[in-house]
Amino acid sequence: MAQVGNMKQAGSLSRLEALSEWSDRHFKWLLVVPAVVLILALSVYPLLFSIWVLFVNYDFQIPGHAFVGLKNFQQVLVDPVARWSLWLTIALSVTNVAIEFLLGLALALTMVKTFRGRGLVMSIIIVPLFISPVIVGQAWTLLLQRPFGPTNYLLGLLTGHEVAIGWLTESPWLYFSLIIADVWQWTPFMFVILLAGLTSIPPNLYEAAEIDGVGDWQVFRRITLPFLGPMITLAITFRLLDAIKLFDTIFIMTGGGPGTKTYTSSFYLYTVGFTQFHLSQATAGSWIFLALTIVVVTALVRKLLEVDQS
Amino acid sequence: MARLPIGRILFIGLYLLFVLVPLYWMFITSIKPSDDYLAVPPIWVPKQPTLVHYSAALFAYRGLQGLINSLIISLSATALSALFGTLMAYSFARFNTGGKHLAFWVLSQRFLPPVAVVLPIFLIYRILGLHDTYFGMIIAYTVFTLPVSVWMMFAYFRGIPKSMEEAALVDGCSRWMSFRKIALPLAIPGIVAAAIFAFIACWTEFFFALILTSRYTFTLPTVFRAFLGFQGAQYGEASALAIVSLVPSIILGTLVQKHLVRGLTLGAVRG
Repeated sequence: MAQVGNMKQAGSLSRLEALSEWSDRHFKWLLVVPAVVLILALSVYPLLFSIWVLFVNYDFQIPGHAFVGLKNFQQVLVDPVARWSLWLTIALSVTNVAIEFLLGLALALTMVKTFRGRGLVMSIIIVPLFISPVIVGQAWTLLLQRPFGPTNYLLGLLTGHEVAIGWLTESPWLYFSLIIADVWQWTPFMFVILLAGLTSIPPNLYEAAEIDGVGDWQVFRRITLPFLGPMITLAITFRLLDAIKLFDTIFIMTGGGPGTKTYTSSFYLYTVGFTQFHLSQATAGSWIFLALTIVVVTALVRKLLEVDQS
Repeated sequence: MARLPIGRILFIGLYLLFVLVPLYWMFITSIKPSDDYLAVPPIWVPKQPTLVHYSAALFAYRGLQGLINSLIISLSATALSALFGTLMAYSFARFNTGGKHLAFWVLSQRFLPPVAVVLPIFLIYRILGLHDTYFGMIIAYTVFTLPVSVWMMFAYFRGIPKSMEEAALVDGCSRWMSFRKIALPLAIPGIVAAAIFAFIACWTEFFFALILTSRYTFTLPTVFRAFLGFQGAQYGEASALAIVSLVPSIILGTLVQKHLVRGLTLGAVRG
């Protein structure tokens, strides 16, 4: 290096050379050190720390950290709200992802051929991906909330008689509201991935099918679906892992209510930890939740690595 | 350029309406005088638009402070994440550092439920005095966006041929110089795209900010808490703040549209 030549003292020269030789030898490890240290400090260390929290009583309302054994786990497991929130999380995630997948696939199939204005349409469709879920929740609240939102009025026009649905307060309508907000935000996720998959299918396959006079449905089943398969798995698993974290729109749209009707697992754990301050109990709950998701995460990441190798 | 059948036009048209109506209604609410909120039939084009909600949202509800905090935190975290992510990705792509396991470990961070991580971080931050500080939020967001930066850049570096760097090494360049003078300049477009995705992720994040900040370093999305629970009194303010927040991230997102597929799948799928 140029700077090295300017060094006058032979001693520092050789030390610098030794240093640069050392750094050259360990170059690949030096590059990963900052990122690894950060992840260790902010993910691994907190998780290890929380193992201690699991077995003591860490509660802002009770001083001291007495050892309590498995009591924290027990309290979560016997809590009916915890069970309810887990079921709701599963039900909402599956519904959301299913609708997003079908709608995204339909959109991708419709948009795969080029047409005038396609670029602009694409840009509009993907807009929700860049908006905070908090704002998405806010936007749908504005549309749905009685009596301010225009939804009931428009439905009244359509049906011909007055509609007075509490979209954010009455079951089952509030589930519908939460689903529509999620579908609005995440359908483009499915759409862009599936569209990328569709455009990578060799067009000569379709041409051959057309010459042979194969029907649309058969073409979809025999060519499109098999080619799209890996992409579908990837998109659905990816989306599902985010869907089970559902929290932001609930926080804004229903606040978990009425009662605990719209508690998802994340919302339940948040409430236990940060409004009731039973931090140990919330930690125990989040470890159970983590254990349940880790199986799926591992499977997905393995899959991603495979796709990547090929 | 083919003409679309009528059914498809209708479907696309309806979907666009579905996307745009909530945004339009929010925008209209932000410039509508409060007296028009409960009008029947609903007012879709306000006759006397007003900016009063914007000034209220920014000043009375401390939206401006949230905006500044969000900028400081998101920009710093993005810079750190892009820097450390690029270094790690280069090491993975060229030297296969740590093999599959290290890459797997970094990637799996992306899928950890935030609630499981944030609870213990909150406890540690309280002990260390990092709760409600810029530093605490910046490093939390750096780690939160690292998997995306690393994996996007990993895919990018592998698309750049090794041969020039190898030639430089033969000519006596150090490994660091061959990275800095050859690989890095070629990777700039990828780094910019990855950084924009990281920025959008920080800018729109809510859960970490809700728990790790309170009175001082609260970010823009957490300001929306102020509008909860009051029957419609602050619809204009909430909408105004939403518009202020979503405009920059939509512009940035549209700029990196062609990298979107790679961004969403952490580089696993090429768009």
